[in-house]
Amino acid sequence: MSQDHDAALLLAFQRGDAAAFRLLYERNARAMIAFCHRFVRDAARAEELAQDVFVKLYRSAHRYQPSARFKTFLYRVATNHCLNEVRRAEFTARAAGPLGEDQAPDLDALPSGAPDPLQVAEARSLEQAVVALLGALPEKQRAAFVLCRFEGMSYEEIAETLETSVSAVKSLIHRATVSAAAALAPFGPGDGEEAVS
Amino acid sequence: MKHVVDELSALLDGALDPAARGRVESHLATCAGCRAERDRLSGALAALARLPAAPEPSPYFAARLAARLAQEPSRGLLGRLSAWRWRLALPAGGLAAAALAGVLVVRQQRGLELAAAAQLDLLQEYETVASLDDVETAEDAAVIAQLDTLDRRGAP
Repeated sequence: MSQDHDAALLLAFQRGDAAAFRLLYERNARAMIAFCHRFVRDAARAEELAQDVFVKLYRSAHRYQPSARFKTFLYRVATNHCLNEVRRAEFTARAAGPLGEDQAPDLDALPSGAPDPLQVAEARSLEQAVVALLGALPEKQRAAFVLCRFEGMSYEEIAETLETSVSAVKSLIHRATVSAAAALAPFGPGDGEEAVS
Repeated sequence: MKHVVDELSALLDGALDPAARGRVESHLATCAGCRAERDRLSGALAALARLPAAPEPSPYFAARLAARLAQEPSRGLLGRLSAWRWRLALPAGGLAAAALAGVLVVRQQRGLELAAAAQLDLLQEYETVASLDDVETAEDAAVIAQLDTLDRRGAP
């Protein structure tokens, strides 16, 4: 199904079809939880944020205009909510500390699926480095970086989501990627692994 | 010769138009410094690709969201509770949580209690819910046991 179907569902919900909202939830919940997790790198908090996003979507559905793509509408709501979250001192303090148990990498989610001790250690270090990187990025860079690197959005989609220009997005992503290169240098290509070109 | 460092992320993301891409690639063919920077950036992208996948949603995510939406004031509580039909979509554990959440909402909103019970089809399934293995605590069982005090019209 296309994104247009999501827009049609939201319009149906505007007209009073409550079941349409449930379908919207089913189609987007998993991606929204993953997005929030990419933003805050905390599983429990990501679920809370994703729930907040759906409640906000429920409340603001009447403001949706068919001229806006549903995906960018949804991610605009989610991005603003996640940015508000990371502005909170509580989260800042928590994110600056070491990873807790709930932030430890899910061993079953490792690329190989095998809990090799070295791989686990590297995944944990990488996760910590990414948390530190995201925490250090300015808000707009962070938002553009997450939408690009983790959600796979095009520069045009990110520009629409963040309500800015494509050239601004290009600059935001480049600066964030330069920061990422510095922060993740210890995790660069190993033996036999070539850089992406 | 003008370096192309500022274009490298867009190059790696496939976000340059053909003309710009051609210019950047021509420059890279002759500039070791820009090639090194390109490789440095692509190394970071490769590292990001090795991050573990985002965790799966918890079994009770949908049930908790349903409970929150059930407390939203607009559009009518009854229509939402009926339309979502969580029991069709949730795993057994989620069903138990949805029933518990539904009961708590109904109990907290005394004025809507009878009408909500008439619409909340989860309440009609109390026997099924009560038999779920996921309901382990005496407190949970006690809450569920109260469901059978409400008939379809919500009368005790």
